[in-house]
Amino acid sequence: MAEQTQGAVPLSAVIADAATGVALALRGEGDPYALSGILRQSDALTSAAVRVLGADALAPYAVEHRAAPVGADDEAVVRQALAAYPPGADASQVSVWSYRGLIEASHAFLPAGAQPWPAPPEAEAAWVAGDPWPKLSHRVSQVAALALPGLAPGLAEQLAARTDDLARGFVRAVRRRDWLQAAGLGRWLARLPDAPSTLGLDSGLAFIRQMGGADPRVALHVVAAQRFYGRGW
Amino acid sequence: MTVTAASPALLHRVGDRALSWLDDHREHFRLTPDDFASNGAVVERLKPIGELALNMQVLFREGVAGSRQKARAGQLLDFTWRELLDGGNVLARLQHDEPLSPVPLEVYATFHELGHRHPGLEAAVEVCRRTTSWTALEMMPNRRLGVLNAERKLGLAPSSDFDRAVERTWLGQLPEPWTVQLHIAYDLTHTVFHLTNWGEAPERIPEAVADYLTRYLPAWMEDWADLEHWDLLGELLVVDACLPRPTLDAELWERYAAAQSATGAMPIQRRMPQGDAARVFDLVHHPTLVAAFASAMATSRAMSAA
Repeated sequence: MAEQTQGAVPLSAVIADAATGVALALRGEGDPYALSGILRQSDALTSAAVRVLGADALAPYAVEHRAAPVGADDEAVVRQALAAYPPGADASQVSVWSYRGLIEASHAFLPAGAQPWPAPPEAEAAWVAGDPWPKLSHRVSQVAALALPGLAPGLAEQLAARTDDLARGFVRAVRRRDWLQAAGLGRWLARLPDAPSTLGLDSGLAFIRQMGGADPRVALHVVAAQRFYGRGW
Repeated sequence: MTVTAASPALLHRVGDRALSWLDDHREHFRLTPDDFASNGAVVERLKPIGELALNMQVLFREGVAGSRQKARAGQLLDFTWRELLDGGNVLARLQHDEPLSPVPLEVYATFHELGHRHPGLEAAVEVCRRTTSWTALEMMPNRRLGVLNAERKLGLAPSSDFDRAVERTWLGQLPEPWTVQLHIAYDLTHTVFHLTNWGEAPERIPEAVADYLTRYLPAWMEDWADLEHWDLLGELLVVDACLPRPTLDAELWERYAAAQSATGAMPIQRRMPQGDAARVFDLVHHPTLVAAFASAMATSRAMSAA
Protein backbone atom coordinates (compact mmCIF):
# COMPACT_ATOMS: atom_id res chain seq x y z
CA MET A 1 0.00 0.00 0.00
CA ALA A 2 3.02 2.28 -0.22
CA GLU A 3 2.48 3.26 -3.82
CA GLN A 4 2.98 6.93 -4.48
CA THR A 5 1.90 9.38 -7.07
CA GLN A 6 4.44 11.90 -8.24
CA GLY A 7 5.12 14.61 -5.73
CA ALA A 8 2.11 13.66 -3.65
CA VAL A 9 1.62 12.19 -0.21
CA PRO A 10 1.77 8.39 -0.07
CA LEU A 11 -1.43 6.38 -0.01
CA SER A 12 -0.63 5.10 3.48
CA ALA A 13 -0.72 8.67 4.78
CA VAL A 14 -4.04 9.34 3.07
CA ILE A 15 -5.48 6.18 4.61
CA ALA A 16 -4.10 7.10 8.03
CA ASP A 17 -5.66 10.55 7.88
CA ALA A 18 -9.00 9.16 6.78
CA ALA A 19 -8.91 6.49 9.51
CA THR A 20 -8.19 9.19 12.06
CA GLY A 21 -11.17 11.16 10.79
CA VAL A 22 -13.46 8.13 11.05
CA ALA A 23 -12.22 7.28 14.55
CA LEU A 24 -12.73 10.86 15.70
CA ALA A 25 -16.26 10.82 14.37
CA LEU A 26 -17.00 7.51 16.12
CA ARG A 27 -15.79 9.06 19.35
CA GLY A 28 -18.11 11.98 18.75
CA GLU A 29 -15.23 14.41 18.46
CA GLY A 30 -14.30 16.89 15.79
CA ASP A 31 -16.53 18.37 13.10
CA PRO A 32 -19.62 16.51 11.93
CA TYR A 33 -18.44 13.68 9.73
CA ALA A 34 -18.65 13.72 5.99
CA LEU A 35 -16.73 11.18 3.96
CA SER A 36 -16.34 13.71 1.18
CA GLY A 37 -14.84 16.06 3.74
CA ILE A 38 -11.95 13.78 4.60
CA LEU A 39 -11.53 12.20 1.16
CA ARG A 40 -12.31 14.59 -1.66
CA GLN A 41 -13.61 13.14 -4.89
CA SER A 42 -11.09 15.07 -6.92
CA ASP A 43 -8.04 13.69 -5.10
CA ALA A 44 -6.20 11.01 -7.00
CA LEU A 45 -5.89 8.61 -4.10
CA THR A 46 -9.41 8.89 -2.75
CA SER A 47 -10.77 5.78 -4.44
CA ALA A 48 -7.79 3.70 -3.35
CA ALA A 49 -8.21 4.90 0.23
CA VAL A 50 -11.94 4.13 0.24
CA ARG A 51 -11.13 0.69 -1.12
CA VAL A 52 -8.76 0.03 1.78
CA LEU A 53 -11.13 1.40 4.42
CA GLY A 54 -14.07 -0.48 2.92
CA ALA A 55 -17.25 -0.19 4.94
CA ASP A 56 -15.38 1.83 7.56
CA ALA A 57 -15.47 4.81 5.23
CA LEU A 58 -19.17 4.97 6.13
CA ALA A 59 -18.91 3.73 9.72
CA PRO A 60 -19.81 7.08 11.31
CA TYR A 61 -23.18 6.92 9.53
CA ALA A 62 -23.94 3.71 11.39
CA VAL A 63 -24.03 5.66 14.62
CA GLU A 64 -27.54 6.43 15.67
CA HIS A 65 -28.61 10.05 15.96
CA ARG A 66 -25.85 11.27 13.69
CA ALA A 67 -25.60 15.01 13.69
CA ALA A 68 -25.25 15.87 10.02
CA PRO A 69 -27.26 14.57 7.08
CA VAL A 70 -25.40 12.64 4.42
CA GLY A 71 -24.80 14.67 1.32
CA ALA A 72 -24.69 13.79 -2.34
CA ASP A 73 -20.95 14.33 -2.38
CA ASP A 74 -20.47 11.24 -0.26
CA GLU A 75 -22.46 9.18 -2.69
CA ALA A 76 -20.23 10.34 -5.51
CA VAL A 77 -17.07 9.38 -3.60
CA VAL A 78 -18.38 5.89 -2.93
CA ARG A 79 -19.65 5.35 -6.45
CA GLN A 80 -16.30 6.43 -7.83
CA ALA A 81 -14.47 3.95 -5.59
CA LEU A 82 -16.84 1.12 -6.44
CA ALA A 83 -16.35 1.81 -10.15
CA ALA A 84 -12.57 2.04 -9.86
CA TYR A 85 -11.97 -1.25 -8.07
CA PRO A 86 -14.48 -3.93 -8.96
CA PRO A 87 -13.03 -7.27 -7.80
CA GLY A 88 -11.78 -9.27 -10.77
CA ALA A 89 -12.08 -12.98 -11.32
CA ASP A 90 -8.76 -13.56 -9.53
CA ALA A 91 -9.52 -11.26 -6.59
CA SER A 92 -8.78 -12.65 -3.11
CA GLN A 93 -11.66 -13.61 -0.86
CA VAL A 94 -10.72 -10.73 1.41
CA SER A 95 -10.98 -8.25 -1.47
CA VAL A 96 -14.39 -9.54 -2.49
CA TRP A 97 -15.69 -9.41 1.07
CA SER A 98 -14.28 -5.95 1.59
CA TYR A 99 -15.88 -4.67 -1.61
CA ARG A 100 -19.11 -6.33 -0.68
CA GLY A 101 -18.90 -4.65 2.72
CA LEU A 102 -18.68 -1.21 1.13
CA ILE A 103 -21.75 -1.93 -1.00
CA GLU A 104 -23.66 -3.29 2.01
CA ALA A 105 -22.71 -0.20 4.00
CA SER A 106 -23.89 2.03 1.12
CA HIS A 107 -27.23 0.28 1.09
CA ALA A 108 -27.54 0.51 4.85
CA PHE A 109 -26.16 3.94 5.66
CA LEU A 110 -26.46 6.15 2.58
CA PRO A 111 -29.78 7.41 1.23
CA ALA A 112 -30.98 5.87 -1.98
CA GLY A 113 -30.04 8.31 -4.73
CA ALA A 114 -31.36 8.70 -8.21
CA GLN A 115 -29.83 5.41 -9.28
CA PRO A 116 -29.79 2.27 -7.11
CA TRP A 117 -26.63 0.88 -5.54
CA PRO A 118 -25.19 -2.16 -7.24
CA ALA A 119 -26.12 -5.54 -5.80
CA PRO A 120 -23.46 -6.96 -3.46
CA PRO A 121 -21.30 -9.52 -5.27
CA GLU A 122 -21.43 -13.12 -4.17
CA ALA A 123 -18.63 -13.73 -1.70
CA GLU A 124 -17.42 -17.25 -1.11
CA ALA A 125 -17.42 -18.32 2.55
CA ALA A 126 -16.08 -21.88 2.63
CA TRP A 127 -12.87 -20.57 4.18
CA VAL A 128 -14.78 -19.41 7.26
CA ALA A 129 -15.55 -22.99 8.19
CA GLY A 130 -12.46 -24.62 6.72
CA ASP A 131 -9.43 -22.46 7.45
CA PRO A 132 -7.14 -23.52 10.32
CA TRP A 133 -7.36 -20.88 13.05
CA PRO A 134 -4.13 -18.99 12.26
CA LYS A 135 -5.16 -18.42 8.64
CA LEU A 136 -8.77 -17.73 9.59
CA SER A 137 -7.63 -15.13 12.10
CA HIS A 138 -5.48 -13.39 9.55
CA ARG A 139 -8.32 -13.16 7.03
CA VAL A 140 -10.93 -12.11 9.56
CA SER A 141 -8.74 -9.28 10.77
CA GLN A 142 -8.51 -8.09 7.16
CA VAL A 143 -12.29 -7.82 6.96
CA ALA A 144 -12.63 -6.09 10.32
CA ALA A 145 -14.54 -3.24 8.67
CA LEU A 146 -17.45 -5.64 8.21
CA ALA A 147 -17.88 -5.74 11.99
CA LEU A 148 -20.51 -2.99 11.80
CA PRO A 149 -24.14 -3.16 12.91
CA GLY A 150 -26.27 -5.04 10.43
CA LEU A 151 -23.51 -5.78 7.93
CA ALA A 152 -22.64 -9.28 6.73
CA PRO A 153 -25.07 -11.10 9.04
CA GLY A 154 -24.31 -14.44 7.43
CA LEU A 155 -20.60 -14.02 7.96
CA ALA A 156 -21.19 -13.05 11.59
CA GLU A 157 -23.28 -16.15 12.11
CA GLN A 158 -20.63 -18.40 10.62
CA LEU A 159 -17.87 -16.73 12.60
CA ALA A 160 -19.78 -17.25 15.82
CA ALA A 161 -19.05 -20.95 15.38
CA ARG A 162 -15.34 -20.13 15.26
CA THR A 163 -15.29 -17.86 18.30
CA ASP A 164 -12.70 -19.93 20.18
CA ASP A 165 -10.47 -19.99 17.12
CA LEU A 166 -10.68 -16.21 16.80
CA ALA A 167 -9.86 -15.93 20.51
CA ARG A 168 -6.72 -18.00 19.82
CA GLY A 169 -5.84 -15.70 16.96
CA PHE A 170 -6.35 -12.69 19.21
CA VAL A 171 -3.99 -14.15 21.84
CA ARG A 172 -1.33 -14.89 19.28
CA ALA A 173 -1.64 -11.52 17.56
CA VAL A 174 -1.25 -9.60 20.84
CA ARG A 175 1.70 -11.80 21.80
CA ARG A 176 3.31 -11.05 18.45
CA ARG A 177 2.54 -7.37 18.78
CA ASP A 178 0.71 -7.48 15.50
CA TRP A 179 -1.60 -4.72 16.67
CA LEU A 180 -3.54 -4.35 13.43
CA GLN A 181 -4.47 -8.02 13.38
CA ALA A 182 -5.17 -8.01 17.11
CA ALA A 183 -7.43 -4.95 16.85
CA GLY A 184 -9.33 -6.37 13.89
CA LEU A 185 -9.91 -9.67 15.68
CA GLY A 186 -10.85 -7.88 18.88
CA ARG A 187 -13.44 -5.87 16.96
CA TRP A 188 -15.01 -9.01 15.50
CA LEU A 189 -14.95 -10.73 18.89
CA ALA A 190 -16.71 -7.68 20.30
CA ARG A 191 -19.50 -8.23 17.78
CA LEU A 192 -19.84 -11.98 18.36
CA PRO A 193 -22.23 -13.01 21.13
CA ASP A 194 -20.05 -15.45 23.06
CA ALA A 195 -16.49 -14.20 23.26
CA PRO A 196 -15.05 -16.17 26.19
CA SER A 197 -14.92 -14.17 29.40
CA THR A 198 -11.44 -15.54 30.18
CA LEU A 199 -10.08 -13.82 27.07
CA GLY A 200 -10.18 -10.46 28.84
CA LEU A 201 -11.38 -8.73 25.68
CA ASP A 202 -12.08 -5.38 27.33
CA SER A 203 -8.65 -4.98 28.89
CA GLY A 204 -7.16 -6.51 25.74
CA LEU A 205 -8.66 -3.83 23.52
CA ALA A 206 -7.44 -1.14 25.90
CA PHE A 207 -3.99 -2.73 25.86
CA ILE A 208 -3.94 -2.79 22.05
CA ARG A 209 -4.94 0.87 21.88
CA GLN A 210 -2.23 1.76 24.40
CA MET A 211 0.48 -0.25 22.66
CA GLY A 212 -0.47 0.08 19.00
CA GLY A 213 -2.93 2.94 18.81
CA ALA A 214 -0.41 5.23 17.15
CA ASP A 215 -1.49 3.47 13.95
CA PRO A 216 -4.83 5.15 13.10
CA ARG A 217 -6.22 1.92 11.62
CA VAL A 218 -5.57 0.15 14.92
CA ALA A 219 -7.21 2.99 16.82
CA LEU A 220 -10.20 2.88 14.46
CA HIS A 221 -10.88 -0.81 15.15
CA VAL A 222 -10.63 -0.30 18.90
CA VAL A 223 -12.97 2.71 18.79
CA ALA A 224 -15.45 0.80 16.62
CA ALA A 225 -15.47 -2.12 19.09
CA GLN A 226 -16.31 0.33 21.83
CA ARG A 227 -18.78 2.52 19.94
CA PHE A 228 -20.85 -0.24 18.37
CA TYR A 229 -20.46 -3.15 20.76
CA GLY A 230 -19.55 -1.55 24.07
CA ARG A 231 -16.34 -3.52 24.48
CA GLY A 232 -13.01 -2.13 25.68
CA TRP A 233 -12.45 1.04 27.63
CA MET B 1 -11.83 -27.34 12.05
CA THR B 2 -10.16 -30.38 13.57
CA VAL B 3 -6.45 -30.83 14.12
CA THR B 4 -4.66 -33.87 12.74
CA ALA B 5 -2.94 -35.89 15.46
CA ALA B 6 0.66 -37.04 15.10
CA SER B 7 1.30 -40.75 14.61
CA PRO B 8 2.38 -42.74 17.68
CA ALA B 9 5.53 -43.71 15.76
CA LEU B 10 6.61 -40.07 15.38
CA LEU B 11 5.78 -39.29 19.01
CA HIS B 12 7.69 -42.33 20.23
CA ARG B 13 10.75 -41.71 18.09
CA VAL B 14 11.40 -38.29 19.66
CA GLY B 15 11.59 -39.86 23.12
CA ASP B 16 13.61 -42.85 22.04
CA ARG B 17 16.25 -40.59 20.54
CA ALA B 18 16.24 -38.28 23.55
CA LEU B 19 16.74 -41.23 25.90
CA SER B 20 19.69 -42.42 23.82
CA TRP B 21 21.34 -39.04 24.15
CA LEU B 22 20.66 -38.85 27.90
CA ASP B 23 22.11 -42.31 28.42
CA ASP B 24 25.13 -41.59 26.22
CA HIS B 25 25.83 -38.49 28.29
CA ARG B 26 25.00 -39.81 31.72
CA GLU B 27 28.48 -39.10 33.09
CA HIS B 28 27.79 -35.39 32.61
CA PHE B 29 25.09 -35.57 35.29
CA ARG B 30 27.69 -36.53 37.89
CA LEU B 31 28.60 -34.08 40.64
CA THR B 32 32.27 -33.16 40.68
CA PRO B 33 34.42 -32.50 43.76
CA ASP B 34 34.18 -28.81 42.86
CA ASP B 35 30.39 -29.00 42.97
CA PHE B 36 30.49 -30.43 46.48
CA ALA B 37 32.42 -27.38 47.68
CA SER B 38 29.19 -25.33 47.78
CA ASN B 39 25.61 -26.28 48.51
CA GLY B 40 24.44 -23.86 45.86
CA ALA B 41 26.32 -25.86 43.25
CA VAL B 42 24.95 -29.13 44.65
CA VAL B 43 21.40 -27.82 44.33
CA GLU B 44 22.14 -26.73 40.77
CA ARG B 45 23.40 -30.19 39.88
CA LEU B 46 20.58 -31.99 41.67
CA LYS B 47 17.94 -30.35 39.51
CA PRO B 48 18.84 -32.24 36.31
CA ILE B 49 19.32 -35.46 38.30
CA GLY B 50 15.84 -35.13 39.75
CA GLU B 51 14.44 -34.41 36.31
CA LEU B 52 16.26 -37.39 34.84
CA ALA B 53 14.71 -39.67 37.46
CA LEU B 54 11.29 -38.17 36.85
CA ASN B 55 11.61 -38.92 33.18
CA MET B 56 12.51 -42.53 33.71
CA GLN B 57 9.59 -42.85 36.08
CA VAL B 58 7.18 -41.39 33.55
CA LEU B 59 8.49 -43.82 30.95
CA PHE B 60 7.83 -46.80 33.24
CA ARG B 61 4.49 -45.51 34.41
CA GLU B 62 3.09 -44.80 30.96
CA GLY B 63 4.22 -48.21 29.71
CA VAL B 64 5.22 -46.86 26.32
CA ALA B 65 8.85 -48.00 26.30
CA GLY B 66 9.94 -50.95 24.21
CA SER B 67 11.95 -53.67 25.97
CA ARG B 68 15.30 -52.25 24.90
CA GLN B 69 14.30 -48.75 25.90
CA LYS B 70 12.94 -50.01 29.21
CA ALA B 71 16.14 -51.83 30.06
CA ARG B 72 18.14 -48.73 29.21
CA ALA B 73 15.93 -46.54 31.38
CA GLY B 74 16.21 -48.99 34.29
CA GLN B 75 19.98 -49.00 34.11
CA LEU B 76 20.06 -45.25 33.91
CA LEU B 77 17.85 -44.95 36.96
CA ASP B 78 20.01 -47.34 38.99
CA PHE B 79 23.05 -45.37 37.94
CA THR B 80 21.35 -42.17 39.09
CA TRP B 81 20.45 -43.47 42.55
CA ARG B 82 23.60 -45.46 43.29
CA GLU B 83 26.30 -43.51 41.55
CA LEU B 84 25.10 -39.95 41.31
CA LEU B 85 23.25 -39.77 44.63
CA ASP B 86 25.29 -42.39 46.51
CA GLY B 87 22.10 -44.20 47.54
CA GLY B 88 20.54 -40.98 48.79
CA ASN B 89 23.51 -39.88 50.88
CA VAL B 90 24.05 -36.82 48.70
CA LEU B 91 20.48 -35.72 49.47
CA ALA B 92 20.84 -36.46 53.20
CA ARG B 93 24.04 -34.43 53.33
CA LEU B 94 22.43 -31.43 51.68
CA GLN B 95 19.43 -31.73 53.99
CA HIS B 96 21.79 -31.77 56.97
CA ASP B 97 23.48 -28.60 55.76
CA GLU B 98 20.25 -26.83 54.82
CA PRO B 99 17.49 -28.40 56.91
CA LEU B 100 14.69 -26.18 55.60
CA SER B 101 15.54 -26.60 51.92
CA PRO B 102 12.75 -28.43 50.09
CA VAL B 103 15.16 -29.61 47.37
CA PRO B 104 16.23 -32.93 48.97
CA LEU B 105 12.58 -33.80 49.59
CA GLU B 106 11.57 -32.93 46.05
CA VAL B 107 14.32 -35.03 44.47
CA TYR B 108 13.88 -37.89 46.92
CA ALA B 109 10.12 -38.12 46.32
CA THR B 110 10.63 -39.49 42.82
CA PHE B 111 13.08 -42.14 43.95
CA HIS B 112 10.79 -43.05 46.81
CA GLU B 113 7.95 -43.63 44.36
CA LEU B 114 10.28 -45.90 42.44
CA GLY B 115 10.99 -47.97 45.54
CA HIS B 116 14.27 -46.53 46.79
CA ARG B 117 14.56 -45.68 50.48
CA HIS B 118 16.79 -43.58 52.73
CA PRO B 119 15.29 -43.76 56.25
CA GLY B 120 17.75 -41.24 57.67
CA LEU B 121 16.69 -38.59 55.20
CA GLU B 122 13.02 -39.31 55.80
CA ALA B 123 13.41 -38.91 59.57
CA ALA B 124 15.30 -35.64 59.20
CA VAL B 125 12.79 -34.21 56.75
CA GLU B 126 9.89 -35.15 59.02
CA VAL B 127 11.34 -33.14 61.91
CA CYS B 128 11.67 -30.06 59.73
CA ARG B 129 8.26 -30.49 58.18
CA ARG B 130 6.68 -30.13 61.61
CA THR B 131 8.05 -26.64 62.07
CA THR B 132 5.94 -23.59 61.31
CA SER B 133 8.85 -22.35 59.28
CA TRP B 134 8.34 -25.16 56.74
CA THR B 135 4.87 -23.91 55.81
CA ALA B 136 5.87 -20.26 56.12
CA LEU B 137 8.77 -20.56 53.65
CA GLU B 138 8.33 -17.95 50.96
CA MET B 139 8.23 -19.35 47.48
CA MET B 140 6.50 -18.96 44.12
CA PRO B 141 2.98 -20.42 44.22
CA ASN B 142 3.76 -23.06 41.59
CA ARG B 143 6.87 -24.10 43.54
CA ARG B 144 4.72 -24.48 46.65
CA LEU B 145 2.57 -26.81 44.62
CA GLY B 146 5.71 -28.79 43.78
CA VAL B 147 6.56 -29.21 47.45
CA LEU B 148 3.01 -30.30 48.24
CA ASN B 149 3.14 -32.80 45.40
CA ALA B 150 6.46 -34.16 46.70
CA GLU B 151 4.86 -34.66 50.11
CA ARG B 152 1.97 -36.46 48.47
CA LYS B 153 4.36 -38.74 46.59
CA LEU B 154 5.93 -39.68 49.90
CA GLY B 155 2.53 -40.39 51.43
CA LEU B 156 2.94 -37.57 53.95
CA ALA B 157 0.16 -35.37 55.25
CA PRO B 158 0.27 -32.21 53.13
CA SER B 159 1.79 -29.21 54.88
CA SER B 160 -0.90 -26.91 53.45
CA ASP B 161 -4.10 -27.06 51.42
CA PHE B 162 -3.48 -28.22 47.86
CA ASP B 163 -6.53 -26.62 46.25
CA ARG B 164 -5.80 -23.26 47.78
CA ALA B 165 -2.22 -23.54 46.56
CA VAL B 166 -3.56 -24.14 43.05
CA GLU B 167 -5.76 -21.06 43.31
CA ARG B 168 -2.77 -18.93 44.18
CA THR B 169 -0.84 -19.84 41.03
CA TRP B 170 -0.97 -17.72 37.91
CA LEU B 171 -2.85 -20.46 36.04
CA GLY B 172 -5.27 -21.01 38.90
CA GLN B 173 -6.54 -17.48 38.46
CA LEU B 174 -7.19 -17.85 34.70
CA PRO B 175 -5.72 -14.45 33.74
CA GLU B 176 -5.83 -12.84 30.32
CA PRO B 177 -4.15 -15.37 28.03
CA TRP B 178 -2.62 -12.70 25.80
CA THR B 179 -0.40 -11.55 28.70
CA VAL B 180 1.59 -14.80 28.70
CA GLN B 181 5.32 -14.24 28.41
CA LEU B 182 8.17 -16.73 28.60
CA HIS B 183 8.36 -16.87 32.39
CA ILE B 184 4.59 -16.95 32.83
CA ALA B 185 4.48 -19.82 30.35
CA TYR B 186 6.97 -21.81 32.43
CA ASP B 187 4.97 -21.02 35.56
CA LEU B 188 1.82 -22.41 34.04
CA THR B 189 3.45 -25.56 32.65
CA HIS B 190 4.91 -26.31 36.08
CA THR B 191 1.56 -25.75 37.72
CA VAL B 192 0.16 -28.46 35.44
CA PHE B 193 3.13 -30.76 36.12
CA HIS B 194 2.72 -30.55 39.90
CA LEU B 195 -1.06 -30.58 39.78
CA THR B 196 -1.08 -33.83 37.78
CA ASN B 197 2.01 -35.37 39.42
CA TRP B 198 3.91 -35.09 36.17
CA GLY B 199 1.06 -36.27 34.01
CA GLU B 200 0.04 -39.22 36.17
CA ALA B 201 -3.36 -37.81 37.13
CA PRO B 202 -4.61 -35.43 34.41
CA GLU B 203 -8.08 -35.57 35.97
CA ARG B 204 -6.80 -33.45 38.85
CA ILE B 205 -6.80 -30.39 36.58
CA PRO B 206 -9.92 -28.46 37.63
CA GLU B 207 -12.50 -28.28 34.87
CA ALA B 208 -12.28 -24.51 34.48
CA VAL B 209 -8.49 -24.73 34.13
CA ALA B 210 -8.77 -27.55 31.59
CA ASP B 211 -11.28 -25.50 29.57
CA TYR B 212 -8.99 -22.49 29.71
CA LEU B 213 -5.99 -24.52 28.55
CA THR B 214 -7.97 -26.26 25.80
CA ARG B 215 -8.97 -22.87 24.46
CA TYR B 216 -5.67 -21.00 24.63
CA LEU B 217 -2.86 -23.56 24.62
CA PRO B 218 -2.95 -23.86 20.80
CA ALA B 219 -2.20 -20.14 20.51
CA TRP B 220 0.82 -20.39 22.80
CA MET B 221 2.12 -23.56 21.15
CA GLU B 222 1.86 -22.04 17.70
CA ASP B 223 3.62 -18.89 18.80
CA TRP B 224 6.54 -20.56 20.54
CA ALA B 225 6.88 -23.03 17.66
CA ASP B 226 7.24 -20.02 15.36
CA LEU B 227 9.85 -18.60 17.74
CA GLU B 228 11.53 -22.04 17.60
CA HIS B 229 11.67 -22.17 21.39
CA TRP B 230 11.85 -25.97 21.61
CA ASP B 231 12.34 -26.12 25.38
CA LEU B 232 9.10 -24.28 26.11
CA LEU B 233 7.24 -25.87 23.20
CA GLY B 234 8.14 -29.28 24.67
CA GLU B 235 6.67 -28.30 28.03
CA LEU B 236 3.53 -26.99 26.34
CA LEU B 237 3.23 -30.27 24.44
CA VAL B 238 3.27 -32.07 27.80
CA VAL B 239 0.43 -29.83 28.97
CA ASP B 240 -1.49 -30.67 25.80
CA ALA B 241 -1.04 -34.37 26.53
CA CYS B 242 -2.50 -33.79 30.02
CA LEU B 243 -5.75 -32.32 28.72
CA PRO B 244 -9.03 -34.25 28.50
CA ARG B 245 -8.85 -34.09 24.70
CA PRO B 246 -5.21 -33.61 23.69
CA THR B 247 -4.60 -32.33 20.17
CA LEU B 248 -1.22 -34.09 19.70
CA ASP B 249 -1.01 -31.67 16.77
CA ALA B 250 0.87 -33.42 13.96
CA GLU B 251 2.12 -30.22 12.41
CA LEU B 252 3.64 -29.00 15.70
CA TRP B 253 5.13 -32.38 16.53
CA GLU B 254 6.73 -32.60 13.10
CA ARG B 255 8.40 -29.23 13.61
CA TYR B 256 9.47 -30.28 17.10
CA ALA B 257 10.89 -33.60 15.88
CA ALA B 258 12.72 -31.84 13.06
CA ALA B 259 14.49 -29.61 15.60
CA GLN B 260 16.03 -32.61 17.36
CA SER B 261 19.70 -33.13 16.49
CA ALA B 262 21.03 -36.32 14.93
CA THR B 263 22.39 -37.34 18.34
CA GLY B 264 18.94 -37.05 19.94
CA ALA B 265 19.61 -33.81 21.83
CA MET B 266 17.01 -31.05 21.64
CA PRO B 267 18.25 -27.45 21.44
CA ILE B 268 16.70 -24.86 23.73
CA GLN B 269 15.94 -22.46 20.92
CA ARG B 270 16.63 -22.54 17.20
CA ARG B 271 19.66 -24.78 16.58
CA MET B 272 22.14 -26.80 18.60
CA PRO B 273 24.73 -24.73 20.47
CA GLN B 274 28.41 -25.15 19.71
CA GLY B 275 31.25 -25.59 22.17
CA ASP B 276 32.86 -28.23 24.37
CA ALA B 277 30.87 -31.23 25.50
CA ALA B 278 30.31 -30.00 29.07
CA ARG B 279 28.96 -26.64 27.92
CA VAL B 280 26.67 -28.20 25.33
CA PHE B 281 25.40 -30.61 27.97
CA ASP B 282 24.60 -27.77 30.33
CA LEU B 283 22.62 -26.04 27.61
CA VAL B 284 20.67 -28.92 26.12
CA HIS B 285 20.06 -31.42 28.91
CA HIS B 286 16.85 -29.70 30.00
CA PRO B 287 15.16 -29.47 26.59
CA THR B 288 16.23 -33.06 25.91
CA LEU B 289 14.69 -34.25 29.19
CA VAL B 290 11.54 -32.36 28.27
CA ALA B 291 11.52 -34.07 24.87
CA ALA B 292 11.61 -37.47 26.54
CA PHE B 293 8.82 -36.40 28.90
CA ALA B 294 6.62 -34.96 26.17
CA SER B 295 7.15 -38.01 24.00
CA ALA B 296 6.21 -40.48 26.75
CA MET B 297 3.06 -38.55 27.63
CA ALA B 298 1.94 -37.97 24.06
CA THR B 299 2.69 -41.54 22.95
CA SER B 300 0.70 -42.86 25.87
CA ARG B 301 -2.28 -40.64 25.04
CA ALA B 302 -2.10 -41.47 21.34
CA MET B 303 -2.11 -45.18 22.08
CA SER B 304 -4.91 -45.02 24.61
CA ALA B 305 -6.99 -42.95 22.19
CA ALA B 306 -6.36 -45.47 19.43
